Amino acid sequence: MRVVKFEKKNTEKLFDVLSRFGEVWSPMEKGESYSYQKIEDSNNFIFHEEVTRTILPEKKLLLPQKFPTLKFNSKKYEKPNEEIPTKILFGIHNCGISALNILDEFYTTDFVDADYQQRRNKLIIVGVSCIADEHCFCDKTNTNIVEKGYDIFFADLCNYYLVWIGTSKGDDIIRMGEDMGIFDANIPGDVTNKYAEYRKRNRESYCNDIDLEGSTDLMELSHDAEFWQELGDICLSCGQCTMVCPTCTCYNVIDEIDLNKDTGQRIRYWDSCLFKDFSLTAGDHNFRAARSERLKLWYTHKLKAFIGKFGAPSCVGCGRCIVTCPVDINIKTVAEKLKKKRAL
Amino acid sequence: MSNKPTLGIFGFTGCAGCQLALLNCEDQLIDLFEAADIKVFYEAMSNNDDGAEVDIALVEGSINTDKQKEELFHIRKKAKTLVAFGSCASYGCVQAMAYGDGKWEERFRKVYGDVEFAVGKAFEAQPIHKFVKVDATIPGCSPATHQMLTAITKLLNGNLPVYTNAPVCLECKLHENECLLNKGILCLGPLTQGGCTAPCISHNTPCVGCWGIIEEANHSAEIELLIENGYKIEDIIRKFRIFGGSKISEQYTKLWRL
Repeated sequence: MRVVKFEKKNTEKLFDVLSRFGEVWSPMEKGESYSYQKIEDSNNFIFHEEVTRTILPEKKLLLPQKFPTLKFNSKKYEKPNEEIPTKILFGIHNCGISALNILDEFYTTDFVDADYQQRRNKLIIVGVSCIADEHCFCDKTNTNIVEKGYDIFFADLCNYYLVWIGTSKGDDIIRMGEDMGIFDANIPGDVTNKYAEYRKRNRESYCNDIDLEGSTDLMELSHDAEFWQELGDICLSCGQCTMVCPTCTCYNVIDEIDLNKDTGQRIRYWDSCLFKDFSLTAGDHNFRAARSERLKLWYTHKLKAFIGKFGAPSCVGCGRCIVTCPVDINIKTVAEKLKKKRAL
Repeated sequence: MSNKPTLGIFGFTGCAGCQLALLNCEDQLIDLFEAADIKVFYEAMSNNDDGAEVDIALVEGSINTDKQKEELFHIRKKAKTLVAFGSCASYGCVQAMAYGDGKWEERFRKVYGDVEFAVGKAFEAQPIHKFVKVDATIPGCSPATHQMLTAITKLLNGNLPVYTNAPVCLECKLHENECLLNKGILCLGPLTQGGCTAPCISHNTPCVGCWGIIEEANHSAEIELLIENGYKIEDIIRKFRIFGGSKISEQYTKLWRL
């Protein structure tokens, strides 16, 4: 793997280089938070030093919140023939890249989700290192340093960025940047020290005292614990946790027919297992009619179920559920309940 | 002789804004007029054929007098499919904000005295399902263009509209809004049936619940959260009641004990 050096003063030129490969998307301020937005102006192209916990995670670029997945008429159906633009996701952090690695496995193992795959093929991942805030806990989910899943990754060594190149597409971008003089293949001699300091800085930035140790087994042991009912009593069923979770994948499809025509479209949109109708089946049976059952399902999925199939839990420690749930049901508070379940 | 399905659009007590919302779909009106043979459209037509049999009747407004009740029975008899069109018809809406408090007669006398009404004997605003079988609902005060036209298209094709039982929060989050409850603002999103596409919250204005209460609304959890944020119980209940209509007193009688 080739490594190059990048200096912050070349940020504007970097935007110029990336723009030649496609649309540049990056976290932009939205209210008191952030949102991944298309960057049109180099002034908005920033190496954020703070945590940019976007309201919606990276998945919105791969499977948009609501889109037509099929068009049909009374005789045939076909995929909408819209042009999918190449997008460069700049400023994604380790947790986000880890989430995309999980989504890649989920959507392309056994059965390939064509809607996902066609957008994934057109997505270039440009990661940037970060320093944790009080809600981050990717150190506890082992997603604080990624070794795969990016095309390029910028690690902040204070005086300069060390740039990892993960794919040949990433290499194309770096080579163009080298031609424009913004990347330097000569790495300073003290780089290993600097890199060790960078890892230490990252490690020491975490202050979220969430305790996930043993949570996978505790989920199994707590299947009938009383606290699920308590959480079910206070859950608003708003579904925000599933919308903001970077590894939640549930969706629904509805067919919409055009008025006075024989044409229509099949709409695919994000759904949530926290909604009652999600588990409604034919004959009006609902196998998860109680809110507590649905909450338990979600936390089982995050902390346990994914391991059997893919070898790791599907929580990446981004902290979105912690900052989003209005009634404080999140991975942290559930982990606390798991540990103290008999003491309630 | 036309093969088009016949449609009647009727109105009772309310602001007539649901009919207006339909009339306001200017880009789709020609398609609607071509797809359906409209026999009655109170707000848009003269020479309404009130006695006509229709495949689909959209009924707007709540029922407030015995005369309206008779008219509603008549519409039901003549319609194959009867649809509650908008919040007033579905659950009473704002004119039913004090629904079931037992003080309607008193209020009525205070406002009108002993006047005899030409429109029939009056009573507390009632949703239409109190008197007749309702086959489908188009929710909203007033209904949203896309949801309304999708529902009407389904009806014209002989199907009933289907809605996801999801709160306003779904569409609010799909628009990537910050949660107003987390900012300490009294927002009824989690308690309210979605389908409106969350325009209010997307413009930084809290949800007032005008699509009606969602089946699974967790009022007590929201009350607890709002009290923690410094709201008074009376103010919270008043807010719930504005668009709560008959649903709130039917489904959540336990609330009034608070």
